[in-house]
Amino acid sequence: MQILEIIWTFFKIGVVSFGGGWSIVGIIRNEVVPHWINEQEFLSLIAVAQSTPGPIALNAATMIGWENGGFFTAMAATLSVVVFPVLSILAATYLARFIKLRAIAINESLKTGSIAMMLMALWALKPSSGDPVLIAMALGAFALAAFTKINALWAIIGSGALNAIAGPAIRAFLGIGG
Amino acid sequence: MKPTKPESTTAQSKPTLIELFILLARINTVTLGGGYVIVPVMATSLEKKGWMNESDFYDLFARAQAFPGPMALNSALLVALKLFGPKGIPAAFFGVVLPPFIALILVSGLIQRFGSLPVLRRFLDGAGAVVPGLIAAMIWKNAAKRSWNVPRIIETALLAVLLILLPAFSLPILLLAIVVLYCIEGLCKSWK
Repeated sequence: MQILEIIWTFFKIGVVSFGGGWSIVGIIRNEVVPHWINEQEFLSLIAVAQSTPGPIALNAATMIGWENGGFFTAMAATLSVVVFPVLSILAATYLARFIKLRAIAINESLKTGSIAMMLMALWALKPSSGDPVLIAMALGAFALAAFTKINALWAIIGSGALNAIAGPAIRAFLGIGG
Repeated sequence: MKPTKPESTTAQSKPTLIELFILLARINTVTLGGGYVIVPVMATSLEKKGWMNESDFYDLFARAQAFPGPMALNSALLVALKLFGPKGIPAAFFGVVLPPFIALILVSGLIQRFGSLPVLRRFLDGAGAVVPGLIAAMIWKNAAKRSWNVPRIIETALLAVLLILLPAFSLPILLLAIVVLYCIEGLCKSWK
């Protein structure tokens, strides 16, 4: 059954959802493309998930569930992605007396892990269309997010609006299809 | 980052479960941009309410990062556990999860309804195009503030290559890597 597959997929994603939201994007992509959603839709979905309220992994789960079965699948996917995190926090509060882990070593190992996860995400989602307008927008977003303190939200909305309003005109001017 | 104010080590007042839920739900409705934006808002709101001072919150936040799951959710769960014990969990959980869920159901419905319009299609394509750029920027920022040494450079590169080459095994590779890296970091500490 499809809903069980979705529950299992998002449960697994929840288990390794370490680091700030962006590190899990590559893992989600590997698990859902092309089975539940295609590459192009996935990029738009992540952009929407980032520019709406809420954690990126949860939002992605809600949207993929919605597109693959509707309301109850969306709810199941959303709950599945947080089951493991919630249980692990509860377990840790009760097991803290028995297990002593080094907090610094945990944090350092997760930092290494999350940078590697983001490198994998970048590789998996590197622009493949060859559309120079979209590549220029990715480079602009990098510059904005890496070197200014402007909320990345504005890069997402700005790029979307620019492509919606002026995309065809720019491509016609450059003499490329569209 | 952690102001030490000895006179305010205990919070002045304690919220009810409903009040905690409402505060978290409000923050998670109006704050866009993910955990890095939400967490500071939570810190100041909790202090302003007098429920928890910022330094106590950031101690919990540091612990929250050691768990899988969204930072905003983990922080909220630890705040609720500290204020109420296990009976605070539902207030924190639904406060963080419910508003985005409702928002995303609405957005998904709108996209499903109007997604075939060329102008919305182009908007979504343009918005999606920046995702690789934003990921690259997060790598840039995280790499810039990481305290690098030779083992960490090798570990990061090796893990990234393994994840890229063996995408079908990314979950077991990651879990194993976290354990191995933890042991290496732990050993390095005990040598010093």
